[in-house]
Amino acid sequence: MQGSTPSGQFVFEAPETEPVGSVLFEEHLKLTAKARMSPFAGYVMPLWYSSIAAEHRAVRETAGLFDCTHMGVLEFSGGGAAGLLNVATTNDVGKLAVGRAQYGYVLDAAGDVLDDIIIYRRGEQLFMVVVNAANEPKVKAYFRELLAGRVVIEVEPNRNGLEPCEPCIIRDMRNTSSGADCRVDIALQGPAALDVLARLAGDEATAGRLSGLKSFALAEVSLGGIDCVVSTTGYTGAKVAFELFVHPDQAPHLWNLVLEAGEPSGALPCGLGARDSLRIEAGLPLYGHELDGKFAITPFQAGYGWAVKLDKTFFIGKKPMVRAAESYDMQVARVELPATKGIRPVRQDDPVLDGQGTCVGWILSSAKVDEKQYALVYAARDAMQEGAGCGVYYLARSESQVQQGRRQSVDKGQKVETDLAGTVVSRFAKF
Amino acid sequence: MAVQEGLLYTEDHEWVKVDGDTATVGITDHAQEQLGELVFVELPPVGKEFAAHKEIAVVESSKAAGDVYCPVAGKVTEVNEELGTKPERINEDCYGAGWICKLTIADKKSLDNLMDAQQYQEYLKTL
Repeated sequence: MQGSTPSGQFVFEAPETEPVGSVLFEEHLKLTAKARMSPFAGYVMPLWYSSIAAEHRAVRETAGLFDCTHMGVLEFSGGGAAGLLNVATTNDVGKLAVGRAQYGYVLDAAGDVLDDIIIYRRGEQLFMVVVNAANEPKVKAYFRELLAGRVVIEVEPNRNGLEPCEPCIIRDMRNTSSGADCRVDIALQGPAALDVLARLAGDEATAGRLSGLKSFALAEVSLGGIDCVVSTTGYTGAKVAFELFVHPDQAPHLWNLVLEAGEPSGALPCGLGARDSLRIEAGLPLYGHELDGKFAITPFQAGYGWAVKLDKTFFIGKKPMVRAAESYDMQVARVELPATKGIRPVRQDDPVLDGQGTCVGWILSSAKVDEKQYALVYAARDAMQEGAGCGVYYLARSESQVQQGRRQSVDKGQKVETDLAGTVVSRFAKF
Repeated sequence: MAVQEGLLYTEDHEWVKVDGDTATVGITDHAQEQLGELVFVELPPVGKEFAAHKEIAVVESSKAAGDVYCPVAGKVTEVNEELGTKPERINEDCYGAGWICKLTIADKKSLDNLMDAQQYQEYLKTL
């Protein structure tokens, strides 16, 4: 079964495909060993080049360059584009000005999160939408079905398909059929990122335009002779953050130009390892972990209720979101734990304990940053007040640990010994 | 990936250095490279006997945990205590200062099941 069910769920089974190299694959092989490349969301991507710690530090202190060419890039154009996006996403696209970007969600009518996305408005009738690599086939199928009028947009009263509206054309910007308009994403993040791009632009006017951009804005500029859509967005928590959308044929050239221009600043290429540790430290959600996933975490529980505009007349999934906003006991929180040498790292699914050793939730993601480890957890709201003491129990990770009596799972409310004590910290880190 | 002459190897990327009845055990350069910077090592208790292929230690980086399997049956006589506070020794010098434990070999014939440096080198190429 694939498509929209009567209960409003959009069911999609991604076809199994062999992972392929990204358009920067050859560049990665020049910089890192093949053993450090790993399949991720259908692509073979670098885990790290120098080390996760060095790359993480580069983004916090200078700048880091990321291959994000695996991310889905869709274009919505035409007189009906704004209207369609406003119905199909949770944020208010009507308030999105040309030259700005907006975070939001694509939901089905049952309220399940299909993806979290960023919409970039390039013109009155021209939008670029960036979706998660892992969700791209599903999101594309969803919009195709939606345009064809085959998606349940509201369960009660049952409504199928959209109201007649002006045409909207959706194109996959990574598909070669989009020709010269093709775009893939390369991200440059960190305090020195603006200097690096200014060096690359080579003219003051462009450098000025980039430095004048507010957060979540975009500009169409030429960098090193290559046409780019440059946006001030990212996934690292860095205050100075850019994403460069470039034609895939020119991506390897741009990648090398940015690395070259970044060298005097100490900028480093960064792999998936640092991408994950940076977003975890910053408190940013990853679809399937801090959003949706096995706990079906809602945008409200994830801490992003502001991106769900319940005052909009209608959007797909609005009714279930109204209910989701009313009450929830569990939420995503950020926990800081020690990570000095010799301390066993915490892992996904390890139980999170309150100060008394009672299980109040579980770890969703974790990362080591210098002498600390940060965990994003799904836990009882009342136990996750900022500054509260908390703990973690290490679940058994091997047969021998099971034999030694270590538990393989812990339920909420169960009391167990605290293996590692930590503190609840503010959800989002400031850098 | 560095492979050291004179050692014996397993398909799970452990190495063994045989000296009389004593086997020193560690993980290979390929293994440490795969795991990344190690932050934690769980060492076996001294005096405990392990059958071949049983889990003898756990090595963890911030991103992954790896089980170290006992390459030959034997009794643990010594463990590398330094790894408790300096697990990165394995990254720095996996065939030297990064050794994990020493065993008294129960049956030297079982060493025949292991690969020599050249065979391991060939094995790595197949991965």
